[in-house]
Amino acid sequence: MQIPEGLRYTENHEWVQVQDDGSVRVGITDFAQDALGDVVFVDLPDVGAEVTAGEAFAEIESTKSVADVYAPISGTITAANEVLVDAPETINSDPYAAAWFVVISGDASGVEALMDPAAYEAFSE
Amino acid sequence: MPDTPLRSDHEALGARFTDFGGWEMPLQYKGVIAEHMAVRQSVGVFDVTHLGRFRLTGVGATAAIRKELCNDIDKIKPGRAQYTMALNETGGVVDDIIIWRFAEDEYWVMPNGVNFDELLGRFAAAPGVEAAPVRSDTVLLAVQGPDSAEVLDNAIGIVPGRFRVATGEFADGPMWVSGTGYTGERGAEIAVPNENGSQLLASLLEVGAVPAGLGSRDTLRLEMGYPLWGQDLDEQTSPLEAGLSWVVDWDHEFVGRDALAAQRSAGLSKQLVAFRTADRRPPRHGYPLRSGDSVGEVASGNFSPVLEVGIGMGYVTPPIDNDANLELEVRGNWQAVELVDPPFLDR
Repeated sequence: MQIPEGLRYTENHEWVQVQDDGSVRVGITDFAQDALGDVVFVDLPDVGAEVTAGEAFAEIESTKSVADVYAPISGTITAANEVLVDAPETINSDPYAAAWFVVISGDASGVEALMDPAAYEAFSE
Repeated sequence: MPDTPLRSDHEALGARFTDFGGWEMPLQYKGVIAEHMAVRQSVGVFDVTHLGRFRLTGVGATAAIRKELCNDIDKIKPGRAQYTMALNETGGVVDDIIIWRFAEDEYWVMPNGVNFDELLGRFAAAPGVEAAPVRSDTVLLAVQGPDSAEVLDNAIGIVPGRFRVATGEFADGPMWVSGTGYTGERGAEIAVPNENGSQLLASLLEVGAVPAGLGSRDTLRLEMGYPLWGQDLDEQTSPLEAGLSWVVDWDHEFVGRDALAAQRSAGLSKQLVAFRTADRRPPRHGYPLRSGDSVGEVASGNFSPVLEVGIGMGYVTPPIDNDANLELEVRGNWQAVELVDPPFLDR
């Protein structure tokens, strides 16, 4: 199970990366993609949409089940990864890099308090 | 929970397991879609040891099958297989079944795992019949795919035609083979005694079969529009409602015939529809369907790896206007879907 350094992790098995401009990039973890199995569909929010911390902003469907993705912070969607629409399997093959979901611009001060890699590793065991 | 005798073989191949009718069986190895495409494009091997099977012999065997099951076993000769069903007195499907007819009075009856005991009991009570369970003594593997003939020839030396059965020898033990499966591809189901199961699996893998789990078996059968008992068929659903009237032979007496005949003349209260969606999102069991005044819900649905759209089957109230739009509700939103006359793929 890969858990890269330099990211923060949520209890919903999402990773969060604070970017240089203060916005955050969000995706799902290796653990989450592995539990879902083959991902076949992703529903992403439009750029400009407002999201609220703790509320679902995207849906993922695999051959097995459907899952929500929750916003780690409140803010505005400034980018959505369209690659995932045509190639949702990217989430299985490269969850931490090519398969980022969205970039959210907002108050990222709470991100530091999320789990670090060691804490997430313990959490996901 | 019973296990396939090949559990350690599957673990070595990286399998994940899940519960199928009380049996721990491989769900997937590398991934459902990769295994699905291997079966469509080359050849895969499934462990289906959990499927029910018992041997039926004796002078009363043929009469018992004719009475208990709605297709007519006398329509096939020894050496062939038949798809049929056990019904209840109200015409509902107790189970769908494949029968392998090895000789005039020698059969293997293969129901789903779930209703195995009930069906075995029905047959064991029939006069002149010996019913012997063979599931716990044998491993059952299914080899499926366009390249299956070469794999079968190399591994077991028998390549059965569609719905043909044969016996042979493997590893100095008996072997039972049938040109059946549940994927729409050519291939065979092969039974051998438990102690030869590992060797059979190894022989098939060695000549090119790809291990495939029951996850892909489900998406493969759905692409062919084959029903799954417990989702598309149950004791409240008749073969007529399920669009499977071809399985019913009206020219003989069988359990449930009167109720079916009454249903045929009175009209159906629900009927099966098959559909494909406009995008990749999988329809799922229980999602609502509507078409004008006709309403219902999805029985089976998933993503089709070949078509790359959602596909599903469900039941709605008749009459269905074939020109009207069928609509599917996905998490609160109604969307138009396209009615399809199954199978979804030509095979």
